[in-house]
Amino acid sequence: MRNLLLLATSATILAGCGGPEKSIHVTETRELTLHDRHYPGNLKDEPPLGWRRLPGTQFRLINYVAGENDSVEIVMGESQGDVLGNANRWLGQFGLTPLQTQDYLGKTDMLGKVAYIVEGAGTYTPGMGKGIQENFSLIGIIRPAGANIITLKMTGPTAEVEKCRDEFFTYMRSFTPIEDHFITPPTGEEAPEKKTESSKY
Amino acid sequence: MSDSPSKPKPKPKPKRSIGARIFRILSGFEIAVICLSLLFLLTFFGTIEQKWFGLWATIHKYFDIESLYVIPTLGDGKYIFFPLPGAYWVIVVLGINMLCGAIIRARKGWKKAGVLLSHCSILFMLIAGAVSSVSKEEGHMRVLQGERSDYAQKLFKHDIEIFPYGEKGERKNPAIVRSEFIKALGSKDKLEATFEKFDFTLEIDHYLPVSALSLESTTEKAPEGVEVVDGFFLVEIEKNIQQEEANMPGCYASVKDKEGNTIQRLVLWAGNPYPVSFSHEGVRYGVTYLMEVWPMPFMVDLHKTLGEYHPGTQIPRWFQSNITKIDGTQREDYEIIMNEPARHDGYTLYQAGYSPAAEGETPSSTFAIVNNPSDKWPEYALYASTIGLLFHFLMMLARFAGGSRPKKKPTTKLSAS
Repeated sequence: MRNLLLLATSATILAGCGGPEKSIHVTETRELTLHDRHYPGNLKDEPPLGWRRLPGTQFRLINYVAGENDSVEIVMGESQGDVLGNANRWLGQFGLTPLQTQDYLGKTDMLGKVAYIVEGAGTYTPGMGKGIQENFSLIGIIRPAGANIITLKMTGPTAEVEKCRDEFFTYMRSFTPIEDHFITPPTGEEAPEKKTESSKY
Repeated sequence: MSDSPSKPKPKPKPKRSIGARIFRILSGFEIAVICLSLLFLLTFFGTIEQKWFGLWATIHKYFDIESLYVIPTLGDGKYIFFPLPGAYWVIVVLGINMLCGAIIRARKGWKKAGVLLSHCSILFMLIAGAVSSVSKEEGHMRVLQGERSDYAQKLFKHDIEIFPYGEKGERKNPAIVRSEFIKALGSKDKLEATFEKFDFTLEIDHYLPVSALSLESTTEKAPEGVEVVDGFFLVEIEKNIQQEEANMPGCYASVKDKEGNTIQRLVLWAGNPYPVSFSHEGVRYGVTYLMEVWPMPFMVDLHKTLGEYHPGTQIPRWFQSNITKIDGTQREDYEIIMNEPARHDGYTLYQAGYSPAAEGETPSSTFAIVNNPSDKWPEYALYASTIGLLFHFLMMLARFAGGSRPKKKPTTKLSAS
């Protein structure tokens, strides 16, 4: 009996000395919550299958790569300033002459409002510590949103950008505001002021 | 030599069995004194230590079930006392001592009923602590004013979730690689996760418990030997000891097909609020490293959050949240204030913090949500203990009052001679 007890104790201790598990089989799933309905800027998007999402940064709410060798970048952000100022900043990155008025920019519809199209090609100087790129192109969208602007920008080698052109505009039209997490105040009460991004749409 | 009768030999004491001796030691007063002294020391050094290492880390160091022993240290790592046993295990020994000494071995009877009840209730309180330590779940729910939430997040557990996207870009139910498997990895180990619902594997490597994600540029280069994925790399940073929840883990991962070919290399960081993605056999998948999402069986609508800080500090003087708790068709309004939580089927919602409306921002409330099966046990134990002691003191009082009455002198009848 005593030997048996000793054996059992040793086995327990030795079992506890094992290293970390190196292989696991995952069967556990989680029910969906409002967490799964949170999107950057409260906008749900539908990117093409070939696009791949990267971590976001301070200036890139949405950050995709596409094309051969992931050479095309598609970035959505929100910034301050006006349409013309931002359009000229983008054109400046290609060494192009600044515009005097935004009337020269093409127009499209994004999230039910007028948005402006900026296009450029040539030698691209992105700044932010990145190197100069030859034969690059830009297709950009700038949409006023309250006091700010929403920007959607695709840059990459000219041939690759042209291949992605249609997908880019389809993607732009796919944005859907998701406001599931907003509440309707009880009757007779004033709605609290929404200061979140989606209220600007 | 006188033939005087020899003195009777004293009877030898009956030899106690080993079991009886162990029981005597376990139920002894000495063990109780040692345990209580150790608890005093642990509380004392823990209080000192949390100044440097923060409340969360110190509580876990001193009171966790995994802490077999602790060495009290100063902020600079210097030892300030001998190693002490972990508080959890001291309480276990104290519990056994109370069971043996104050309940099994104690004298029974009506006169001792009150004391016995008090001992039982203290033991019950210790058991409540053990149950809470093992099975309590705790998370935080942050809700902006005018918004709602149906989930909390566990601040110190970070899972990797993988989910397919639907045709309209919506997320589907995620599969979860739990934090305990990831945490068990060192920076050199790898973990291979296969999935019941996916036909690819995820190989996790280079786990860093406290890290930052950086974007490589001409001004910021990755240190030698550090892998750069999609222009991003992870670096180990100094641990924030005052604010444990600010420490973000990170890792690299490879998605591999059945043949072991790499589909995609990923860099995962818990501070990144949105998923990264890859495509496999015509389906787009999202991967995210995040604080464990804990779905709630109810929804919280936050109508109003109010509060005030002590002047010149970030310490709240008071705060209040006006919420509606929704469970299916049932709606209940609550005003949650400090120390007055809302409850729902074993879940307790305390307000843990609030953010006032800063310029251009929406005010918010943070609720600490606790699901603890032994939540109310200490309260019941206190009631029982109070009743027991009250009964005991009343008995003593009655006995004292009875004993202080002048006794009648026995009268003796003198018989006539």
